[in-house]
Amino acid sequence: MPVLWREYGLAAAVGALSTAACFALYPVLSLTDLVMVYLAGALVVALRGERGPALFASLLGVLCFNFFFVPPRFTFQVAHPQYVVTFVVMFAVAAVISHLAVRVRAQAEATKQAEVAAETEKLRSSLLSGVSHELRTPLAAIIGSATSLLQTSPAPKSRELLETIRDEAERLARLVYNLIETTRLESGAVRLKKEPYPVEDVVGTALERLEKLLAGRKVETDLPENLPLVPVDPLLMELVFVNLVENAVRHAPGGGPLEISARERMDCVEVSVADRGPGLAEADLPRVFEKFYRAGAAAGGAGLGLAICKAVVEAHGGTITAENRPGGGAVFRLTLPRKDPA
Amino acid sequence: MTPKSVLVVDDERAILRFLRASLEENGYAVLEAVTGKAALELAAAKKPDVVLLDLSLPDLDGLEVLKRLRQWSSAPVIVVSARGEQADKTLGLDLGADDYLTKPFGVEELLARVRVALRHAERAARDPEPVYRHDDLTVDLAARRVWLGKKEVRLSPHQYTLLAALVRDAGRVVAQKQLLKEIWPEGGSTPEALRILVHQTRHRIEREPVRPKHLKTEPAVGYRLELPDE
Repeated sequence: MPVLWREYGLAAAVGALSTAACFALYPVLSLTDLVMVYLAGALVVALRGERGPALFASLLGVLCFNFFFVPPRFTFQVAHPQYVVTFVVMFAVAAVISHLAVRVRAQAEATKQAEVAAETEKLRSSLLSGVSHELRTPLAAIIGSATSLLQTSPAPKSRELLETIRDEAERLARLVYNLIETTRLESGAVRLKKEPYPVEDVVGTALERLEKLLAGRKVETDLPENLPLVPVDPLLMELVFVNLVENAVRHAPGGGPLEISARERMDCVEVSVADRGPGLAEADLPRVFEKFYRAGAAAGGAGLGLAICKAVVEAHGGTITAENRPGGGAVFRLTLPRKDPA
Repeated sequence: MTPKSVLVVDDERAILRFLRASLEENGYAVLEAVTGKAALELAAAKKPDVVLLDLSLPDLDGLEVLKRLRQWSSAPVIVVSARGEQADKTLGLDLGADDYLTKPFGVEELLARVRVALRHAERAARDPEPVYRHDDLTVDLAARRVWLGKKEVRLSPHQYTLLAALVRDAGRVVAQKQLLKEIWPEGGSTPEALRILVHQTRHRIEREPVRPKHLKTEPAVGYRLELPDE
């Protein structure tokens, strides 16, 4: 902690000022009244909110009072033992006042900070929902218009282009959703709505959402019927699987099969999403979950998908890892605790 | 036959434009409103057959529009809202919406929802279709029997009640709350029990339960049985 020279300087100045005032008041006030002047000085220092300088001011007050006013004056000697009691009580009172004043100040500051934080949070979330509305509306119009034209049996060439518009707009919509959910997670604005769900159900809704992306791709699933339920936020966990599957499709082009399996472990359920693509470079392995890190940049992606997977899984008290598979391809393995850790 | 009319409520011109184009292309008459107030007035004046209601409107909360509309109209309402706004969807269904669409949506999805909504509105007067057929699944409500392909499927009473409830509302989302009430009318059950029941039922009626063809989950809202084959 830095030494608060300014605050100690202030304490010394207040001590001097109190002493000056006492000299002025000495002819008209009794000795015990002068104690009040010093206590008032100590209180002023304490209100600045620092404990050390406040105690220093208290001690200084006692010493000045002793030196300048308690007979014999201008010595630290004390004629009557009763003054020792006065000093002790004076110091104790000054110390307690300082302590209370410092605490009041700290509380006032904490309240103010909490207010500012709440205000910032409110602003942030209203901004976020405004921005997300502004980003989603044009995308909804593009996707709607493209699919509307696709309904009119266009020529093959046009059909292909319209499908491209639709698919890419959908991809952009997923990216926007990722971006917004990442921001929400990081700002702490998300409270997980965890309820016990079958893993199969959550994986199923993710696959359903990616139906078009998965057209023509083989997905092998192996999820035992009797897996225990796990407490998850269904929408956020769906987002995890959407991202893992989308990632696998992008990095394993050429239609190799995806494999999704789940197993019951001691105190968790382990789910893995695996592909038969080229796998991950050794150098990428420790970094794939970092935000904006793009493994195999040629395959594209904003480097958000896996980062949000990690954030969501960890918010559930689970873990996520990436490895290469023997025989080629990558596997992402995540664990979800069976009991709600929160 | 006069064309069925759809009242589209949305404050975004670009959205209205493609909705009008695709609905008219498919033989519907389209009415448009860009505010909640205009929507209520138009609904009262023109009595549309279906209302497509976006929940984010400039003047009134979309749910408020729904609530007021429901005081005098039983026309099917499909609410439209963004992904993630599940609470609004659930609330919308509670307030009497028939279904919902998540933005962004494709036109096939929109047309399917409108068709289902119209069919349910008509059927409310008639008897329900006694047999549901979709792909390899057949449910005979009169005989209380279920087949997957040629093989008869044995379901527990709760599993059957679940499936029958979804068949009666085929194509339409059925809220968790409503299913709980139908399957356990005496109460005392939980969404968790419902999820387990759905899970078990899927393992009887789906060939690949993790990628269900018939019984779909609407995350954090409810379930939907795919439309029967025409």
